[in-house]
Amino acid sequence: MITAELLSDLKSILSEEQMIEGESENHLLGNSGQVTIYPKSEEEIANVLKYANNHRKKITVSAGETKRGFGGIIDSADILLSLANYKGIVEHTPGDMTLTVKAGTPFKELQDYLAEHKQKVSLDPAWPEYATIGGIIASNESGPKRLGYGAGRDVVIGLRMVYPDGTIIRSGGKVVKNVAGYDMNKLFIGSMGTLGVVTEVTMKLRPLAKYESLVLLSFPEGNVEEIRSFAIHLLDSVMEPTALELLSPALSQKLIGENLHTLAIGFEDVESSVHYQEEYVKKIQPANSKMKILQQKEAQAFWDKIYSIGPNGAAPAAGSEIEASLKIGVTNLDVLHVINISQQLKDTHNVVVEAHGGIGHGLCQVNLKGASEDIESAIDQLRNSVNQLGGYVIVKHLPLSLRKKINIWGENPSYFFLLEGIKSKIDPNSVLNHKRYVGGI
Amino acid sequence: MASKQIKTNDKHVKNLANIVGGSRSILYHKEDLLAYDSDGFTLHRHLPKAVVFPKDTQEVAKLVKYCSDNQLPFLARGAGTGLSGGAIPMNGEVIISMVRMKRLLSVNLENRRAVVEPGFVNLKLTNSISDKGYYYAPDPSSQYCCTIGGNVAENAGGAHCLKYGVTTNHILGLEVVLPNGEIIEIGENGIPDAPGYDLLGLITGSEGTLGIVTKITVRILKNPEAKQTVLAYFDNVTDGSQAVSDIISAGIVPAALEMMDKTAIEGVEAAAFPVGHPKDIEAVLLIEVDGISAGIAEQINQILEVCNNRNVREVKVAQDELERGRWWANRKTGFGAMGAISADYLVQDGVIPRSKLPQVLNRINQISEEAGLRIANIFHAGDGNLHPLVLFDARIPGESEKALAAGSACLQACADVGGTITGEHGVGIEKREEMRFVFTDEEINAQTDIREVFNPNNLLNAGKLFPMPGRCVEIKKELKEKEAAIS
Repeated sequence: MITAELLSDLKSILSEEQMIEGESENHLLGNSGQVTIYPKSEEEIANVLKYANNHRKKITVSAGETKRGFGGIIDSADILLSLANYKGIVEHTPGDMTLTVKAGTPFKELQDYLAEHKQKVSLDPAWPEYATIGGIIASNESGPKRLGYGAGRDVVIGLRMVYPDGTIIRSGGKVVKNVAGYDMNKLFIGSMGTLGVVTEVTMKLRPLAKYESLVLLSFPEGNVEEIRSFAIHLLDSVMEPTALELLSPALSQKLIGENLHTLAIGFEDVESSVHYQEEYVKKIQPANSKMKILQQKEAQAFWDKIYSIGPNGAAPAAGSEIEASLKIGVTNLDVLHVINISQQLKDTHNVVVEAHGGIGHGLCQVNLKGASEDIESAIDQLRNSVNQLGGYVIVKHLPLSLRKKINIWGENPSYFFLLEGIKSKIDPNSVLNHKRYVGGI
Repeated sequence: MASKQIKTNDKHVKNLANIVGGSRSILYHKEDLLAYDSDGFTLHRHLPKAVVFPKDTQEVAKLVKYCSDNQLPFLARGAGTGLSGGAIPMNGEVIISMVRMKRLLSVNLENRRAVVEPGFVNLKLTNSISDKGYYYAPDPSSQYCCTIGGNVAENAGGAHCLKYGVTTNHILGLEVVLPNGEIIEIGENGIPDAPGYDLLGLITGSEGTLGIVTKITVRILKNPEAKQTVLAYFDNVTDGSQAVSDIISAGIVPAALEMMDKTAIEGVEAAAFPVGHPKDIEAVLLIEVDGISAGIAEQINQILEVCNNRNVREVKVAQDELERGRWWANRKTGFGAMGAISADYLVQDGVIPRSKLPQVLNRINQISEEAGLRIANIFHAGDGNLHPLVLFDARIPGESEKALAAGSACLQACADVGGTITGEHGVGIEKREEMRFVFTDEEINAQTDIREVFNPNNLLNAGKLFPMPGRCVEIKKELKEKEAAIS
C-alpha cells in the first residue's frame, strides 16, 4: 500500500514525471518499489536518500534491471530508485586513458563511444546493451576475459557515491595509481548497493586490441584429464591467452554446434603475435581434439553470444520453467570439476544446464532451467560439491519465491561481524537494498 | 647460548617476553630500541616500548590480545623500508616485528599462486620460482629487502605496475590478526570474489591500521616470452613527456615507462651504477615492452618512431640482458643515488593525470626555485607517478623544514591538477595533513569510520594516515549534531 504521504514527500524532491506509482508489484523477481523514481541529478539522489534515511524508508537501487533477480528477499521496497536516466560520459581524457561516466550508462553505449577512440573498458559483463556500469560495478560482474584483463577491482580508480545520509563521498580519484587513504573503491565494488548509491565511476582504460582471434578446441566427451593436461601445458607456456574458458557440452552445442567439452581460447594482441599463439596451440593440440579458429569479427561474435546466454533480469522468461544462474568460485583448475558436476545435474535433477568457467581464474557461470523443486535441489547439490572443493556458490539470478527459500550467498563467512559492522556504520537504518546481500545485510 | 634473563621491572615487557618464548625474541633496552625509532622516513623519530619477534600467527594473536587487553599501543613492522613513516612508533608502541615469520609456505604453479609469511622478502619469491619461469609482479625499488607483508600494508607499486598492477591486484588471500587478537582468513584458498565486502582490497594498503597480516596468498605470473628495453634521451622535458603520451596513445601498454630529469641523471651518474647518460640532456626515458616475441619488434619500432617524432637526441635498444640490467640498476637505485650529490633528500610520491606532466614539472621547478632547494625528478611516467626528490642538508638549520614544505607544495601541485598525494609510498605520518588536499572532512570521516569497525580502540598504529587531529572532524560532527538538536 502506497501512502499518500510518501508520494507527496517525494513530489517535493522530484517532479511528477520523474516518478511512477505502484508499478510492477508481484513481479516474478521482486525488488520492486511502491514508487519508482528516476532522478536526473546527484542532488536529487542525495535528497531522496536523506529523506528515506530520516523517515526510515527502504530503497531498492536499479537501472538496467539485468540483476533484478540477484539477491533480495523483498517483494517491494518503499522506493525503487532507478538510475536509468542518470547516464552519460562525464569526462574522458584520451591521453590519460581514464574515463568518468555516470552510473546509469549502459555498458555497450560507453564501449561504443570509447571504440571511436580505439579504447575500451577492459570488462566483459553479460548483457552489455542493458547492464549499466553502476550495476556491473555494484555486483562485481566479470566475464571470460577476466583472465587477461582483471575485474572491476582492477579497473575502477574512483567512485562517487551518495551515502544513505545524503553525504557525497568520493573514493579513489582520477589517477591510475593511488594509495591515499583506505582503498574505499574496493569496499563498494561488489557491495550490491548496500552501502551507497554509486553516481559516477572512474575507470582506467585499455587500448582496443589491435587484433583478436579465438581458438575453439573441442574434446572427445568425458575426457577431462586430457583437457586438464592441455590447459596446464598452455598455462605453463609463455602464451598469453586473454580467455581460457571451458564450455560444457550443452553450451558448446548451442554456441558452435559441437556437443563436446570445448575450450575457448582467446588471443588479443598485434596480429603477428595472435597468429603466433594460434600456431603454438596447433603444435600442442591433443591428438583427437577438434579445432576451429575464428578471426576478428567472428571471434567477437562468439563472445557476444556468451554474454547473452544467461537469464536477463530485465526480461525474465515467462512460463512454468524457472531460470537460475550461479556464479561459482573455485581454485583455477577445479573449474574442470565444476563444469563436469554441473553437466551431471541434467540427468540427476532433470534440469537444462549450460555452464562455462575460466580455467585461468577459477570463476564459473552455471545457468539452469527447469521445474522449481528441481532447480532448488540442483543448487543444493552443486553447492555441496563446490563446498567440498573449498569454493563458493552465489545465486546470481532466481525468482523471488525461490530466493526466499535458498540462501543465495551461502554460509556467512567467519568474519561476518566485520561486514555487519561496516554496513551498520554506513547505513545504520538499512535504507539501501535491505537484505539483498550476504547474511541479510 | 644460555638464555638471557629479562632485566626489567616492567611487567608488560616481562609478559610480552613470555609470549614469544623469552628474552631472545624481545628488545627493550634503549640502545637496542634506537634502531627502531624510524623507518625509511627519518624526519620523525620515536622510541618504541619494546620490539617483539613472534614466530607464528598464534604468537602474533597472543601479543595483540595482550596489548589490546592492557591498552598498550602496538604496530607491525616488516623490513622498515617504508617511506612515509608507517612503522614509526610515534606513541611509544610495542613493535611486533614480522621478520621471523619469513617462510615461503607453498607454491602452486598450476594454479599460479604462492603462500608466504609476511616477513618473506619480495625478491626472494621471484628468485624461488624463476627457475620454473614464474615471477611475482609487484617490484618496488626496495624489493631486495622489503617484505611482502609490508608491501600489502602499503599496497606497494613498482616500475612494472604500469602493465601488471600494484600489490592489491596480486593478492588472493590473507590471514589477518584483528586488533582484538582474533584471527580471520579472507580470500580462503585464494579464490577470487568470495561473497561479502572486499576486505582483501580494503586491508591491502590500509598501512597496518586495520589488522596485522600473518599469511598472504599471492598470484604469480609466467615470465613473458620476450622483453625489450629502450633508452631515449631528450633535450627538453616537454618532448620527453609528449613521447610518453604518444606511446600510450599508440595503443602500446609498456611493461614500464620511466623518466628521469637532469638533476636525477646527475645523481645516478655520480652514484654506484652509472651507465654514461649524457650530462647535458634534460630527460631520459626508460621504456620496456614485454610479451609474445612475435609482437615485440612491431612495438619497439613504433616506440622508436614516436621518439624520433619528438626530437629525441639519441635512442637505443638494450643489446642484451646485461645492458638491460645495468639500465635498470641505474634507475632502481635512483633514490639512494641522490646521496652522491646531496647530504640529504626527501622523496615525494605524487600522481597526476599523464597529460599534465609538462605543466606539473614546470610548477615543481618553480617550487624548487622558491625554496632555494634543488629538486630531482624520477618518475613512473607511464602512470603519472612522480617522485620529486627534494635535496637538502639537514645540518643547515631550517633546511629540513624547508624541504618538507617544498615536498608538500609538490603534492599540492599534483592535487591541483586532479592528481593525488601518494601513488605507492603511503600516507603514514608524512602526508597526513596532505590528505586534506584530496579529501573532504566527510570523506576522511568515512574512512575513519571503517577503521573504527576493525580497530575501535585505535591501539593499532594510531595517528597514521589521517590528518591530526582526526578529532577535528568528530568535533565538527558533534557541533553539527548539537546545532541540529538546538534548531
